[in-house]
Amino acid sequence: MTLTHLNARGEAHMVDVADKPESRREARARGRIRMQPATLALLAEGGLPKGDVLATARIAGIQAAKRTHELIPLCHALALSKVTLDFELDSTQGCVWVEAFCRLNGRTGVEMEALTAVSVACLTLYDMCKAVDKAMIIDGVQLEEKRGGRSGDFSRQAQQTQEAAADVQPAVRGENPLHGETPVVSVRFLAELRERLGTEQTELDPAQLAVADIAGVKRALMAADPRYALLEEGRVLAACNQIMATDATPVAPGDEVAFFPPVTGG
Amino acid sequence: MQIDIRVQQAAFDAVAMQQRLTARRRDIGALVSFTGLVRDINERPDVEALTLEHFPGMTEQALEAIARDAGARWPLTGVGVVHRVGRLPGDPIVLVMVTSAHRRAAFEACDFIMDRLKTRAPFWKKEHTASGDYWVSERQSDHDDAGRWERA
Repeated sequence: MTLTHLNARGEAHMVDVADKPESRREARARGRIRMQPATLALLAEGGLPKGDVLATARIAGIQAAKRTHELIPLCHALALSKVTLDFELDSTQGCVWVEAFCRLNGRTGVEMEALTAVSVACLTLYDMCKAVDKAMIIDGVQLEEKRGGRSGDFSRQAQQTQEAAADVQPAVRGENPLHGETPVVSVRFLAELRERLGTEQTELDPAQLAVADIAGVKRALMAADPRYALLEEGRVLAACNQIMATDATPVAPGDEVAFFPPVTGG
Repeated sequence: MQIDIRVQQAAFDAVAMQQRLTARRRDIGALVSFTGLVRDINERPDVEALTLEHFPGMTEQALEAIARDAGARWPLTGVGVVHRVGRLPGDPIVLVMVTSAHRRAAFEACDFIMDRLKTRAPFWKKEHTASGDYWVSERQSDHDDAGRWERA
């Protein structure tokens, strides 16, 4: 593996692509901006002082993709044939997901364009909302997939599935780990609760949940094994994807639910 | 506001944290810090050591959220939190350090952060004593202390 932007003397240089064949290139990147629930609600209602936030961020992302070569020193200027920006308001995780897709028929990949579009769209969201929330965090900016070109295709999801398959946790007390097409709900237990259950981790098929929330996860566990009656004894706290949850917090396939006793640090 | 959150097994150095929070700044008028140590008597006598468990990822996020809440309530210039995890002998286990232009904000924010940490940050303490090991229970007094900030 070599770094293509360095020449034999280790100096930065732009790769000469004149002799590379043209091919269909596509890239999809994603990122998010986390914010207070109140900010997200204002954004959803269109109540922010600077006006239509998502429309502005979409135009900013498209413009940024087209101007990537002006920002990133060794990027080629590309005539993109398609740039799209999608936004998803996620009240469970308190964030706006930003996804960019770029395409062209050409000689270089478009992943830098997709990543730049996501980054600038997130920055624009920050700018549009900062009057009401300065603590917003932009994170998780990453390439999801790319197609075409000599280096071949890349898909983060496929890579993660492979890694997960290579790292299968042993089944806990005969419960089958379900590594298939449908993502499972993984459940972990911490501290004294883990010791009393004798279990660190288990998995639920989302089909086992009569109601897809934390209370539903508890009921499904208790139906599978009476030991889990401990989840109803005394005060047991829960988190979904590492955010504090209540019985009514929704749980989706692929989520990680954790149960633990009241905290005693400090 | 500068936020410096660390969850680590190793012992910490309060002077190093002070240097990180004050380096190249002339706008800080007050620095307040709290250090929590292991007592030899807690729920049972003869505590020999304790084990601190945390929830990697969630714990750091929770500490950062607590620091941001403090920053939203008082005009702070910096918050540093170090919490040790793993099996620890009777050493300092937690450090909270707050800087501000003025002392009142720094005193109150430091108190607030410790109250929130004890009731909201995912840490669990197991004490190893001469008469056996046990998990420490939550204390109503900690919830009462944390409740003061809700009424205020």
